[in-house]
Amino acid sequence: MDQSLIRNFSIIAHIDHGKSTLADRLLQITGTISERDMQEQVLDDMELERERGVTIKASAVRMTYTASDGQTYEMNLIDTPGHVDFSYEVSRALQACEGALLVVDSTQGIEAQTLANLYMALEQDLELIAIVNKTDLPAARPDDIAQDIEELIGLDALDVIQVSAKTGSNVEQVLEAIVRQVPPPKGDSSAPARALIFDSHYDSYKGVVAYVRVVDGVFHKDDMLRLMSSGADILPIELGIFSPNMRPVASLSAGEVGYIATGLKTVRECRVGDTVTLYHNGAAKPLPGYKQAKPMVFAGFYPSDNDDYDDLRDALEKLQLNDASLVYQPETSQALNFGFRVGFLGLFHMEIVQERLEREYDLDVLATAPSVEYQVLLRSGDVFTITSPAELPDESTIEEIREPWMVIEVFTPEDFIGPIMDLVTGKRGEYISMEYIDRTRVLLKYKIPLAELIVDFYDRLKSGTRGYASLDYHFDEYRAENLVKLDVLVNKQPVDALAMIVHEDVAYHKGQRLVSKLKRLIPRQLFEVPIQAAVGKHVISRANIKALRKDVLAKCYGGDVTRKKKLLEKQKKGKKRLKMIGNVEVPQEAFMAVLRLDDDD
Amino acid sequence: MLLLPGAAHTAAPSYHAPDVPLALYLHIPFCRTRCTYCAFSTYSGLSALIPPYMDALAHEIQLVGGGLKRPAHTVYFGGGTPSLIPAALLGHVLDRCRDMFVLPPGAEITLEANPGTVDDTYLRALRQIGVNRLSVGMQSANADELKLFGRCHRQDDVHSTVHTARRVGFTNINLDLIYGTPHQTLAAWQHSLDTALGLDPDHFSLYSLGIEENTPIQRQIALGTLAFPDPDLAADMYEWAASRLAAAGFEQYEISNWTRPGHASQHNLYYWRNLPYLGLGAGAHGYAARIRYANIAHPAAYIECIASQPVPLEFPCSAAADTINSVDRRQAMAETMLMGMRLTVEGVSLDAFRARFGHDLWSIYGAELDRLIASGLVEHTADARVRLTPRGRLLGNRVFIEFV
Repeated sequence: MDQSLIRNFSIIAHIDHGKSTLADRLLQITGTISERDMQEQVLDDMELERERGVTIKASAVRMTYTASDGQTYEMNLIDTPGHVDFSYEVSRALQACEGALLVVDSTQGIEAQTLANLYMALEQDLELIAIVNKTDLPAARPDDIAQDIEELIGLDALDVIQVSAKTGSNVEQVLEAIVRQVPPPKGDSSAPARALIFDSHYDSYKGVVAYVRVVDGVFHKDDMLRLMSSGADILPIELGIFSPNMRPVASLSAGEVGYIATGLKTVRECRVGDTVTLYHNGAAKPLPGYKQAKPMVFAGFYPSDNDDYDDLRDALEKLQLNDASLVYQPETSQALNFGFRVGFLGLFHMEIVQERLEREYDLDVLATAPSVEYQVLLRSGDVFTITSPAELPDESTIEEIREPWMVIEVFTPEDFIGPIMDLVTGKRGEYISMEYIDRTRVLLKYKIPLAELIVDFYDRLKSGTRGYASLDYHFDEYRAENLVKLDVLVNKQPVDALAMIVHEDVAYHKGQRLVSKLKRLIPRQLFEVPIQAAVGKHVISRANIKALRKDVLAKCYGGDVTRKKKLLEKQKKGKKRLKMIGNVEVPQEAFMAVLRLDDDD
Repeated sequence: MLLLPGAAHTAAPSYHAPDVPLALYLHIPFCRTRCTYCAFSTYSGLSALIPPYMDALAHEIQLVGGGLKRPAHTVYFGGGTPSLIPAALLGHVLDRCRDMFVLPPGAEITLEANPGTVDDTYLRALRQIGVNRLSVGMQSANADELKLFGRCHRQDDVHSTVHTARRVGFTNINLDLIYGTPHQTLAAWQHSLDTALGLDPDHFSLYSLGIEENTPIQRQIALGTLAFPDPDLAADMYEWAASRLAAAGFEQYEISNWTRPGHASQHNLYYWRNLPYLGLGAGAHGYAARIRYANIAHPAAYIECIASQPVPLEFPCSAAADTINSVDRRQAMAETMLMGMRLTVEGVSLDAFRARFGHDLWSIYGAELDRLIASGLVEHTADARVRLTPRGRLLGNRVFIEFV
């Protein structure tokens, strides 16, 4: 394929600004998808993606478009995940492109994630085409938003294309702009072949299918290949393109986007960001920018029913086939028996994984409160990392505990600056800066411990700003802090799954809240149950759950034994969902109570 | 220990018990007004249906009886409000029972009566047709509670009903009381029970108020205009009542029932001993010949069903049966446990269990019983019975769920 007739681009948008709808229209106009096969969010084939209206995995699709200049172009659209948890994946996808469409909702304006992705696109030197979408809505302010875009990134407001992806109005212009403005790829067709892996999925027949952008040279279908970081050598099962379904081709050459069905059985050997080259006469240097995705948030996942342990392991294994950033290892809890410590890119990622386990694998999973990765410096000078409070060694051996801090960027209408300040300060955050990005909205920057960020921060940010604020974050540094382990004792037994690492200044407050929360959540038992929170040997809060006195059906209406049995069966079923901690029955919600300590109930 | 008449039956029947006499439950699904706590099968404003309904009931008795003259042990008119029915119509139905079943002389025949619906003439007529046990829905001696319940009677009505009943010859009178109600104080409860004791009944049923779905009282609680009753206070009320009644010479024999010696409800013992009973009438439940069934609830539909049935069907159901479930041995054992454990003195006898099911009780429920005994809710008595401990009586569900 002549590189001058190829255009590779992706779409950058905040969640709900219409990225998937615009993609749908492009596919329709180019005839890539027949009217008959058209459905909403064509590229989001996961049930969860459709339901949440957000792209979780990247995908690619090739379109053919005959432009007004009479030439026929190969247009590759690379769809990117729509959540900050997956920003590394987004950066790889953007690296596979020469241009990006910046889609902004003409009723909402620019948001934090749009800007974060936009910066990434600018870093990669991508040609930007700005689009304001949803011009069909009565509340649309396309001219205002176009003006904001001009002020923010210096694109001429007159060049901003005003479209309605929903009605299709002006969408053709977008295709023309891509042809005109996005530069063709400039790879060296004769150099040793190199391709960037920007995503992958697992196929039970073809193994791991790597999504690639060929940068230099040509790959032929019978070539032996090498993955440069993992060192895996493979004879691929097939090469192909997405149109939008997988279609085998004989070769993929410089500038093209397609897939390599590797036949590999695990994604570990085929990571996003890795470079594919030829086994014989391969390239000497990989493409820049590969880094291993690093989990930031960790939680214990336990099967509600201990018998499901093997099923949970199998399910995690299968999920990992499609999700290289998911890591897990077996973990044992005194309270919850056998389970896994699972690492995630962020809380959203965790939610997605938990939901997929429950939906796609029909597992009832009990998740402990999420934790971050702490660095522990021992008196001996050794440093090691822990991802669970239970791993913290004896207090007397610890020199210091360090926790990860993040930089966050919050976009908000100026009216909400006060509440956001309060929220961030209440979570140990530090102010960095504030700047106006348009007439009424500001960009606030703070530093904040990740541990505070993962506990209800996002929900409270949203509720405190009536949904207007948006958030982006990235890792900043590890900092030594006055951190202590807060133990929870139920019926005088410490419960490892309820322990947490907290800042000393708030230990007392958190201990009290946790105890009163647990007192409400744990049902009365046949005996009195003390609940205690302790730091070291020092009990900082205690409450007693009084023994249950009365639980009996008074009468059986006119011999209706069936009704009575139904009530008892219902009660028994409810009891089955409780976890036995020693001889105390604890509901699953108790293990997540840590996350809702500041609720007002 | 309290020996109950009829206890000998527990040793006799095999699990489907063909040779055991039946108890007959006759449902009267009519009320003048609905009580605010009631979720039971009853209707107000349908009094025009009463005569055809009673005819249908008599017809169902005939259809189910099928000319086999099975022995019957008790008859119970429950409701609803059976005392709304003219005595002559009740008598007609009772005659049909006697035609179709063999009722021994002196068999217990109970009628539930609402105070204020009965007078001297009516009670005399009840005696005349053979009713020998009166169960009076007193519920409370406090006007505010009666108002909350939506009861139509006043405390004076209870007084006159009981006295008139005594005068016309009733020697077996039960009073129903409800405790553990929203905003009820311990003192208010004590007043109700003491007032009831002053009427000198032979039997008490004390029911802790159950908040049933779709009742006015439940809706008020959901709206927050009524407080959910405090279960600990209800436990205090129960314990106080148990000691008060013991001091007054009553013996407890079931979780909610107390009797003067010799006046235990023969009919209700059938349920608790898991013995066969026929449910006749709209919405009635029955259990016989390894089948549990329930009749269609609405009286008009019931009348229609019975009218459409020309000949007897397979015992024990009529064409009005709406749900029919067979009970296998395992279920019968479970039901024997969860009903039998309600009997606070008798409990479940190991001998009777073995005789009925051919298995040792411990071989079936050993793990459950050991656990319950260890937790102090159940005791294994010297005379080879398992039963609730005094503490277990208030925590019965914790025991029962082990068997469902």
